Amino acid sequence: MISLLIVDDSLPMRSVIKKTIRAAGYGQSEFLEAANGKEALKLLKNNWVDMVLTDHNMPVMNGLDFIRAVKADAIIKTIPVVVISTEGNESRVREFMDSGAAGYLAKPFTAEAIRDLIVKFLGEASYDEDYSDSNENLDF
Amino acid sequence: MKTILTAMKISISEVMETMFFLPVEFLEKPAQKQIKALKGRQSRACCLDFSGDGSGSVYLLVPTPLLLEMAGNFMGEPGEFMGDELLDGTLMETVNMMTGNALRKVNAKIPFELGIPRLVPGSQFPETEGTLIIKTTGPEMAVHITLG
Repeated sequence: MISLLIVDDSLPMRSVIKKTIRAAGYGQSEFLEAANGKEALKLLKNNWVDMVLTDHNMPVMNGLDFIRAVKADAIIKTIPVVVISTEGNESRVREFMDSGAAGYLAKPFTAEAIRDLIVKFLGEASYDEDYSDSNENLDF
Repeated sequence: MKTILTAMKISISEVMETMFFLPVEFLEKPAQKQIKALKGRQSRACCLDFSGDGSGSVYLLVPTPLLLEMAGNFMGEPGEFMGDELLDGTLMETVNMMTGNALRKVNAKIPFELGIPRLVPGSQFPETEGTLIIKTTGPEMAVHITLG
């Protein structure tokens, strides 16, 4: 099972990302949700996640400031943070990456692109289907 | 205006087909009475400001039946059972994706800033030049770009 934090001020977008990830084979994933960077930092103080997917353009604390805060924290800085945003001109993407983002995906996105992101950072082995297959092959 | 309208058309097609599974066609330079007719229907509207090389606002006007279909396709469940938060959220995320995607297409090297989408009364949808009427398999919707 993987644990992900989705940071986006759009409730429908958070829901779509969750459903897309579940449909991609990660049916047992655990999701935390935040509507902005500040809420996300609060969640990360008390919860460990395998990966963070964040929007940039949010009220209160935007994605760039959130990434900088994560990467300045000795405990959570190793968590990969991927930006999923409409704001993706070359200089802004460079700014995300220079600040410590692990990747960037432009909106609109396809379900395949989301799946590829998860596989890239968390690996094929975390697929629930693979997990069940490996259980069947266990030799007791 | 022509450059951004061209980019916006491509962007709208990509957003509508990729996220909402709705193919679209465009009616450019619609007559004022066509815009008025759309505004007269039960609909929801929102606006997003942008700045950068140029600045302006993008308005999106979507008739409620089409917004229900879009939200349903987006979320993978019937739109009829969704509350205002999900419907308005879908509307605002749509204008956000359309605008950001269009501005990237105008020039990917020039930085731009997007504001936070806000709901506006349908009556505020402009009837001036810069409007596209978007034909779907169902009701039509409209986008307007105002350059500052």
